[in-house]
Amino acid sequence: MWKMTEAGLTCESYKKVGSETILDVEITSNRPDWMSIIGVARETAAIQGLKLKKGKEINLPKKSANFPLDLVPNFNLFERWTGIVIKDVKIKPSPKWIQERIKLMGHSPINNVIDITNYVMYELGIPMHAFDYDDIFGQIMTPELAKGGEDFTSVDNLNYKLPKDAIIIRDAERIIDLAGIKGGLNSGIKDTTKNIFLHVTINNPVLVRRASQALGLRSEASAIYERGPDKGGVTDSIKRAVSLVLELAGGEIASELMDLKKEKFEPWKLTLTFDRLDQILGITIDAKEVLQILTRLNLTPKKSGKAVDCIIPTYRADLKIEEDLIEEVARIYGYNKFPKTLPVGQVTATKIPYHFDDGFILNLKNLMASSGFSEVMTLSLVSSQALDMFEIKKENCVKITNPISLDYEYMRPSLILGLVTGTKMNKRECVKLFEIDKTFPGESYKISGITKGISFREFKGTVDLIFEKLNLKAPEIEFDSDKPYFHPSKAGAVKINGNLIGEFGEISPKILNGLDIKGDIFAFEFDIASLQKHKRVRNFKIVPENPPQVEDITLTFPQKTRIGDVLALITNHHSLITKTELKDIFKDSYTFRIWYQDPKKTLTNQEVEEIRKSILQKIKEKFGGQIKE
Amino acid sequence: MQEEIINTKNQAIAQITSVADVKELEEIRASYLGRNGKFTLLVKKIKEVPQENRKKFGISLNESKITIERLLSDKKHALIKSLTEKREWFDLSLPGIKPEVGHLHPLTKVLSDVKKVFNYLGYQVADGPEIETDYYNFEALNIPKDHPSRDTQMTFYLENGQILRTQTSAMQGRVMEKMKPPFRVLAPGRNFRYEQVDASHGFEFWQVEGFVVDKDVHLTDLFGTIDYVLKELFGKEVKLRFATTNFPFVEPGVDTYMSCTICGGKGCSFCKNSGWSEIMPAGMIHPNVLKTAGIDTKKWNGFAFAIGLSRIVNLRYQIKDLRTLTTPDLRILNQF
Repeated sequence: MWKMTEAGLTCESYKKVGSETILDVEITSNRPDWMSIIGVARETAAIQGLKLKKGKEINLPKKSANFPLDLVPNFNLFERWTGIVIKDVKIKPSPKWIQERIKLMGHSPINNVIDITNYVMYELGIPMHAFDYDDIFGQIMTPELAKGGEDFTSVDNLNYKLPKDAIIIRDAERIIDLAGIKGGLNSGIKDTTKNIFLHVTINNPVLVRRASQALGLRSEASAIYERGPDKGGVTDSIKRAVSLVLELAGGEIASELMDLKKEKFEPWKLTLTFDRLDQILGITIDAKEVLQILTRLNLTPKKSGKAVDCIIPTYRADLKIEEDLIEEVARIYGYNKFPKTLPVGQVTATKIPYHFDDGFILNLKNLMASSGFSEVMTLSLVSSQALDMFEIKKENCVKITNPISLDYEYMRPSLILGLVTGTKMNKRECVKLFEIDKTFPGESYKISGITKGISFREFKGTVDLIFEKLNLKAPEIEFDSDKPYFHPSKAGAVKINGNLIGEFGEISPKILNGLDIKGDIFAFEFDIASLQKHKRVRNFKIVPENPPQVEDITLTFPQKTRIGDVLALITNHHSLITKTELKDIFKDSYTFRIWYQDPKKTLTNQEVEEIRKSILQKIKEKFGGQIKE
Repeated sequence: MQEEIINTKNQAIAQITSVADVKELEEIRASYLGRNGKFTLLVKKIKEVPQENRKKFGISLNESKITIERLLSDKKHALIKSLTEKREWFDLSLPGIKPEVGHLHPLTKVLSDVKKVFNYLGYQVADGPEIETDYYNFEALNIPKDHPSRDTQMTFYLENGQILRTQTSAMQGRVMEKMKPPFRVLAPGRNFRYEQVDASHGFEFWQVEGFVVDKDVHLTDLFGTIDYVLKELFGKEVKLRFATTNFPFVEPGVDTYMSCTICGGKGCSFCKNSGWSEIMPAGMIHPNVLKTAGIDTKKWNGFAFAIGLSRIVNLRYQIKDLRTLTTPDLRILNQF
């Protein structure tokens, strides 16, 4: 079994039923020939180096009558169309051995003629169909494309509306066949059928595939047609079927073997050069062994100098280029006999297109994790309902036209949608989550964080920390955000040099109420590319040996004073102020702690006092802040 | 005054002798010799001493200070010595109080490891669009419209005719048409397929595509690369075997089976009792793919492979249900 899998015919299990062995194989789309008993037998013989038992050459008896039938050629639809009329057959159940085999393939036996067409398909891999000759009105068959919407009742008595461009066959009056997919009830084999028309069509694979997809009707036959059956094996398989009909249903041949074909469909030549074989495989397989392998595969190899000319049988339509032959040699030789090497080529220093260094993102992820935030990766697809709840305009969102369900219809415009769900899902008191990924449209990477159960200042601390670690140049905070999912007054935008970086603040109470989430939820979302663009390397500052002078100043301010701006003013006021903090808030009074430090000397009280005076002066001018009495 | 010195000194001696703890000893030092210590205050009192006694007072004060300092230092040594000589009860089994930290997602951790391994081999990371064109996702990869292999890659469509990429292989055409070989590329990312969700399938999944185009690359190099990478990721003891398979964009095509890391190859529910996991489909890049991107196949060839990232997470952490990965539940995430 592993040997079959190694060679490409994946075989995971088998079972014995009586004297028969049933293999469960997985067939890749390039090997229609494996969809038959003969194909699997040929493959097994090649792998094991065994001889294939050849079937007897079939010589059909001469026709004893001439029942007319006009097949109208259309090589765009049927590259090949081969058929024969048999008269005076007797429809009855098939003999037991065919019935058993049909059952083993998972189907129900119907009658001798239909069972024979199915059996020969399994045996040789070419689908065929039998009509009741007397139900082909006007003795004419015309293949054409459905216009769409036509009614069609299949041989198993199911009704269909035909999709546009399905291949159908019409007789003088009606649609009698949905070619390559199902026969029609009107022309099918019945218990009373006397004369039959047996045919094989090589259908346009694309049209069969589209029609069977449109109808949701996939059968073994349609699967073979999509992959492309053996165009050269048509006459052999029809002969096999005819001989079985004559043997099991009686009757006599009543027409020529009609064979309309676009071209001859003969074996073709393909050359393998040893140089190319060595180049692709990385090993040199002895020429004798190469020839042996190709012989086992029935490719009739002939060595000519540094190359081998092969003749490809028509059932191997997958062998089109030299590399295909290289794979044939390699897989039968055995992949697991190859040595393992590493490429010796040079590694280029040139940056590749779409080059992506995620070091920046990884640093941010680590910063978030060390700040107590856990990373989530939520789905990119969100529902229309979620967008409604977040009051996001859908016309600006990327919509899937064939969503798997309405829960996953849009590409997310923000990571916050998933994070809010996370705060609902986690019942614990304190929740801190973050995600870094793309949002749509635009596919720009965002970093987004969310908190539950902590205060605004604790939340804002993480935002400040990100800005501080990236050493962003003075982010400006606007007390307004155009994102409808934020609180109308407790959220805003961050800009640097007038460029929008993102938003932060409290999530809208409407959403929280709608989702039944209790407690304050704060979130931020920043654009990664903008953060990366504005980040700055921090210059090292020598740690002064002289101790700083530290003092607290408590000030009162009028209402609606931006304390963040006051703090920034103090920090940037004088080069000897090395650090400031908001120490405490009590009603309208704010305590600032200020560090004064001169790298060269210890500051005197007088020097500090001068700086302090000018700070207080500035604060009074700009913000109306006063020393608390 | 002299008396005060002696009293202070005696007091100090008494305290130092009776103390049994280094910390208390330090407090005693501060109370006598610190900024506001008793001896320090006495020094300040020297102005009150009559001129003729000042020298004597000074000498006496200084001697006392030296005595006390020596005593302090001796006592400290004695105390520390006794500390290291005798054993006392200290409960090391008490549970700690953990700092509140966050956790990185398992996919982040696994992807970092994968990138690291490929970094050693000289690969650069490329990041491409998730909203793709049919051209890069299929046609440039030798998968024409209506090719039956599209069945395994059912696709989401957008209103403008674009699609959500079904495979990170879409990056092959994008990189190849923009850059002259040689190159070694690793393209990780999300992919989307129209599939009903169950424990082992999601319509969103993570994949890492890798490909190399160079003058002299062979199938043996592909086998060697897969072998190196999987052993770096899963340990030297894993066993690998290769099988033929078909993807339209490779020829020859390779499928990689790795001995199941969960049961060690004995068979378990993760490997469907086979003892093996299908883990890394690969192959030599099909000449049509190179030609489409304008690369001369006489000069260059290459190999490509894909790693299912969720599959690796699932084998490493024994997560059976892939949906676990996209659930923002801290009870799950805090385990990593």
